[in-house]
Amino acid sequence: MRRTTFLTLLAFLLLAGGVVCLMQKARVLALGGDSDTSLYAGAALLMLAATSALFALTMLRRSCITLEKRLEKSISRGKLEQVIASDIQAQSLVGAINDVMDFADRSVTESAMKLKEIEIQLKVATGRRQHAEAILYSISDAVLVTDQFDELVLANEAAARIFGFDLEEATRKPMASVIADTTMVQLINDMRQSGSTNGRRIVEHQIKGPGSSPMTFKATLSCVSDRADQPAGVVAVLHDMTKEKEVAEMKNDFVSNVSHELRTPLASIKAYVEMLIDGEADDERTKREFYDIIQSEANRLGRLIDNILNISRIESGLVKVNKQPQSLTVILKEAIEVITPQAKMKKIEIVEQLTPVFYQTQADKDMLYQAVLNLLSNSVKYTPESGRITVQTLVDESKRKVIARISDTGVGIPPKDLPFVFDKFYRAEANNRMAKGTGLGLSLVKHIIETVHHGRIFVESQVNKGSTFGFEIELI
Amino acid sequence: MQETKTILVADDESHILNVVSLKLRNAGFRVVTAADGQEAFDLAHQEKPDLLITDYHMPQLSGLELCQKLKHDPQTCSIKAIMLTARGYHLEPTDTEQSGILRMLSKPFSPRQLLATVNEVLQLAA
Repeated sequence: MRRTTFLTLLAFLLLAGGVVCLMQKARVLALGGDSDTSLYAGAALLMLAATSALFALTMLRRSCITLEKRLEKSISRGKLEQVIASDIQAQSLVGAINDVMDFADRSVTESAMKLKEIEIQLKVATGRRQHAEAILYSISDAVLVTDQFDELVLANEAAARIFGFDLEEATRKPMASVIADTTMVQLINDMRQSGSTNGRRIVEHQIKGPGSSPMTFKATLSCVSDRADQPAGVVAVLHDMTKEKEVAEMKNDFVSNVSHELRTPLASIKAYVEMLIDGEADDERTKREFYDIIQSEANRLGRLIDNILNISRIESGLVKVNKQPQSLTVILKEAIEVITPQAKMKKIEIVEQLTPVFYQTQADKDMLYQAVLNLLSNSVKYTPESGRITVQTLVDESKRKVIARISDTGVGIPPKDLPFVFDKFYRAEANNRMAKGTGLGLSLVKHIIETVHHGRIFVESQVNKGSTFGFEIELI
Repeated sequence: MQETKTILVADDESHILNVVSLKLRNAGFRVVTAADGQEAFDLAHQEKPDLLITDYHMPQLSGLELCQKLKHDPQTCSIKAIMLTARGYHLEPTDTEQSGILRMLSKPFSPRQLLATVNEVLQLAA
């Protein structure tokens, strides 16, 4: 570097000497003199100055190339070192470059740190989103999220299932092109346009389900606001209330039926008591008749309450079941003994075709007895005088099952009523006049056989020929 | 001497049918009874009663259907009715126009109150 400096200085000195010589020649010519010494000297000095300058430039260029190579090497190593320049002329340049490189180095480091920070933030945000999506997908309620352009931003599987769209294809598409339910689209539109960022709207919304029956939803719509508190979209959550509605209706029907069934015997009791008080029964025989009616209707009321409670206990699983090895034949014999006086009054013959008592089932004796007695009592009620009731048990050894059949020669059940005879409060209208019932007896029998003993109940019937009620339960 | 009024009573519950009949007979009315809606409809044409007392829930034809059918038939349209119900049915103003039901009594009811209502409705009709 020093050589370049020296040659540069020399070039400046020679340039100055040359210029002085030429100025001297010019002054001589101006004064009218004529000497070529100064001209030649000047020219020679200028040429020397040019040569020195050329050398200096060549050396400076070489220094720059060396410097450039060192820089490239440093950069390719990924580590910016201080480049020591030996040339004075290049010193400032190198200094500036080093400053720039220091700055660039700092910037790159800072940028790398910021990038790392952003990557972490992105990971956190992605994690949060995935977490939110996992929550969204795991909930049974349908969730739809739309943006300010009414495009579907987010939805869960429940929503896709209810509205019948493909979850992956639907995202970022206009909501109206994805959801065929125009009422729902309108509700979301209205909510977004209302611009209410702090309110929410709850509406009952019906959607035609996969079957023919409509499904009822409670739709909760709320606006999502951006950072500037401006409406940025809508979140719609749909809670399926179909089952709840059905349960509420069933409960309502049950209460209505129970109330009707309770009021009927109560109406008789109240009316006959009042008649007795008012002295409307003027002879002893009529009074006796009234007392009997009051007693039988009070019994009916008691039976009804017992049946309701028993069914309710079995349905809710609160009933205490005491299962022990029992013979169905023994239970049937006991029930037949109890029902025989009633059958005799109507001259009904009871025929027993029972299997030996050693076939045992795991059963709650009281409950099974109650079920069998109910079936026998029905047979006696719906069989006209001089009829016949056949009580039969059959053992299926291969299936380890015992089947009980109680067949009568009674009025039978019309085919339209047959599928419903085990429903609560269902009574075949045609047979209503034949006997009074609570409409709960067969429902209780079904519960005892199927819910408590995991068996199967069945009915076969022909109008005016008779009915067969039966059940099968497992042998031990 | 005042003419004996005929009352048709329809109920599928025999005890109720008997107690209402006895109360009304003791009060001097002529009573005819039916155990279901269809039988009541036929008896209404046959007997031309001054008043019908019917249960709401009956086989064949419900009490309301019975009253509506009678109201639409020129032969029986003038028969006024009292309905007994264990279902908590409420009487709407249109029911009177379309079915001729003037009063509604809930089960359990008082025979005394029923008799008072019968007299009231018969007076209204007169």
